[in-house]
Amino acid sequence: MSASARFSLDRRRFLAASAGAAFAATVLPGCAASVNDKSSDGGKGGGTLTIMTPDDPKSFQAEAEKALGMTIRVIKTDTAKLNAMLASKNPPDVVRGVGALETPYFAARGLMTDLDPYFAKSSVLKTSDLDPVNDLWRFDGGKQGTGPRYGMAKDYSQDSMFWYRADLFDAAGIDHPSDTEPLSCDEWLDFGKRLTNRRLGKVKVYGLSAGGMGTFAQLTYLTASAGGSVFAEDLASVDFSSPEARKALQWYLDYARADIGPNVANPNPDAWDWPTYQANRMAMAVDGYWFGGMFLEDAKVAENSRLAPAPQLGSHRISPCFGATGYWIPRDTKNKDAAWKFFEWYFGGKPAQDRASSGWGVPSLKSLQDKMPQDKPFQKQAYAAQQHEMKYFSTLSFTPYAEVTALDAVLNKVLPGAIHSSTSAGKVADEVNQRMNEQIARGKELVG
Amino acid sequence: MSTGQLSRSVRRARASTETRRPAGRPRRRPTSLRVRRAWAFYLFAGPWILGYLTLTAFPLGYALWLSFTNSDGLSPRTRFVGLDNYREVFADPDTLASLARTGVFTALTVPLSIVAGLLLAVLVNRPIRARGLFRTLLYLPAVVPPVGAALTFKMIFDRDSGAANGVLDVLGIDGVPWLVDPYARWVLITLTLWGVGNIMIISLAGLQDIPREVLEAARVDGASPWQTFSRITVPLLSPVLFFQVITGVIAGLQTFAPLLISLNSTPAGVTSVPQGNYLYMIHVFAQTFANGRYGYASALLWVLFAVILAVTFLTFRLSKGAVFYSFEPEQAKNATRTIGGKR
Repeated sequence: MSASARFSLDRRRFLAASAGAAFAATVLPGCAASVNDKSSDGGKGGGTLTIMTPDDPKSFQAEAEKALGMTIRVIKTDTAKLNAMLASKNPPDVVRGVGALETPYFAARGLMTDLDPYFAKSSVLKTSDLDPVNDLWRFDGGKQGTGPRYGMAKDYSQDSMFWYRADLFDAAGIDHPSDTEPLSCDEWLDFGKRLTNRRLGKVKVYGLSAGGMGTFAQLTYLTASAGGSVFAEDLASVDFSSPEARKALQWYLDYARADIGPNVANPNPDAWDWPTYQANRMAMAVDGYWFGGMFLEDAKVAENSRLAPAPQLGSHRISPCFGATGYWIPRDTKNKDAAWKFFEWYFGGKPAQDRASSGWGVPSLKSLQDKMPQDKPFQKQAYAAQQHEMKYFSTLSFTPYAEVTALDAVLNKVLPGAIHSSTSAGKVADEVNQRMNEQIARGKELVG
Repeated sequence: MSTGQLSRSVRRARASTETRRPAGRPRRRPTSLRVRRAWAFYLFAGPWILGYLTLTAFPLGYALWLSFTNSDGLSPRTRFVGLDNYREVFADPDTLASLARTGVFTALTVPLSIVAGLLLAVLVNRPIRARGLFRTLLYLPAVVPPVGAALTFKMIFDRDSGAANGVLDVLGIDGVPWLVDPYARWVLITLTLWGVGNIMIISLAGLQDIPREVLEAARVDGASPWQTFSRITVPLLSPVLFFQVITGVIAGLQTFAPLLISLNSTPAGVTSVPQGNYLYMIHVFAQTFANGRYGYASALLWVLFAVILAVTFLTFRLSKGAVFYSFEPEQAKNATRTIGGKR
């Protein structure tokens, strides 16, 4: 064989080599990224900890690196990216999540680390000091609230309480809601209608934003306050045809048809309540205690805002939490001990104390709850209302077979048409049942 | 230096090279032109081929495999479901409705954009004063990133504080909820036409390529301006217009703009897109990221790929006789090349 023949690069060889290189380029970074890279720890000697969070890294990264002696790598929260990282068994070490809605889904798929052994050994985070809200991060395979702990809440709120603008109530000549006794949903809707200000088909001031933590969560809560449940006992199906759930659906249809606040047929362009509320264009907003944290940037809003108990659709008074936002540690992370160090620092160290006194939520450790702010008049009122509401704190189980986005997607699909027409709540319930149960059945098949 | 001396020097130099070469190593022969050309070709084409294999071929193959599974991306019990996902595509009313809606949207926006772009090109091709300024102004919206344009549209058409309803307010007319059903589709179509400057600029280039003498001859023969336009300009411009039809149809079928002008334009808000704007790609995104149905969504994408291929093929077939090539593509294969000499 001549030298030129041996060194020649024909098309077939080149393509084969390229395919090999492409495969290597796809696979090798995955292998490399799964290694705990202690050589690139910025000289801190404690390795690198990867955190997926929506928080601005500037707000905690440097402080965490200093406190933990580790390099903190921050990945912005991105569901698609998280799923890809979990599927490739190369997840972030710590992930921000909504315990109330996500724990059953991820735990049932075996993607979360059981934190019980870590809590048992910890001298910083004691289970006896954990607020009951942390039980939303527990799942025993069939039920939420019991079983191993898979995460921890950073703080929480009772998400069906609402804030209102006292100045707008005064202008409309309506008495302020009580700090301790809840409105009925009918009164609430009536107030919303009276507080709405329109001009030539446009809404200048929304009377009531009843979206809360999403339409599905809101309907779950309304149904529960009427004494029913959206989910079946085994969480493997929904039933919106029960009298309580139909009543909840009817209330939501009435609210949306009245066009007194953002709803599935006319969402808020700002995607959340604060900009509209701050602009004096929203009289009542279903956002829990945490919303008060925003008021520190606007003294006028703070002066005119009050927190009120969660309105009730029936006589079964409840006030649930749909968030319990916090962190969890994926099962396949290689840095579990380092991740737990972060847990102890973030949930039991200085950041936890700072959060407790900021008013951004009720602290998830009982020992920190006396640090809740009461300096300003609005903080005093909110603290008192929140303390009283605590008696009615409740948790509502969520299904492990579907993500809340999938169930909200069904409502987004079905409700707008019903709102624009005169479709009855019963018909809506039938369609919602069929679509949601199909989705849940598919998830059940995958989880087993 | 005599010839003899020169030969001796060369021999000495060769001998010295031979002694330096390690024993047994074959003499290096000069690389042939063919091999060097091959290296040069692959050196330039290599990065693209590598990128294609890594970022296109591999994901395509993976998506094809996914389309035969019930994967949600996370669950351990993912299994092979054969053609079930493909059967569901053709039985799912939401999918069929979104596909039909996308077809109507494409059938409406592509001709409208091309006609508007062509008319603007004809306008700015005329010898008018400040022609350059008009060209710039008309092309400017096409330079604005789609996200920026969509945000502007959202602000203009916001029901409660937008400029469009502000104008209606001045006239004492009730405001219109532009960004929800049933009006949102018209805002989307307007947004699509907003980028018509791209079509204008390509058509303008085509217009300027038409030989003046052909137009002059038509005028001398007594053709009216409309006859010149319809019988000379448009036929000569038809390859350019055909190119725009093909690329416009593909872009129309893949459009994702409805999310950008949706009131909740976050990824989580994809399922809140008004039904009138719930196009095929929105449905795909919702199935993937809201419902976590990776397998089904992959099947949806493969079906879209097949639809695009079929529509493109059909458009090519229908264009026969309607597109005028001054140089027939079939003949071009056998024609003498202008650069590089004969084949």
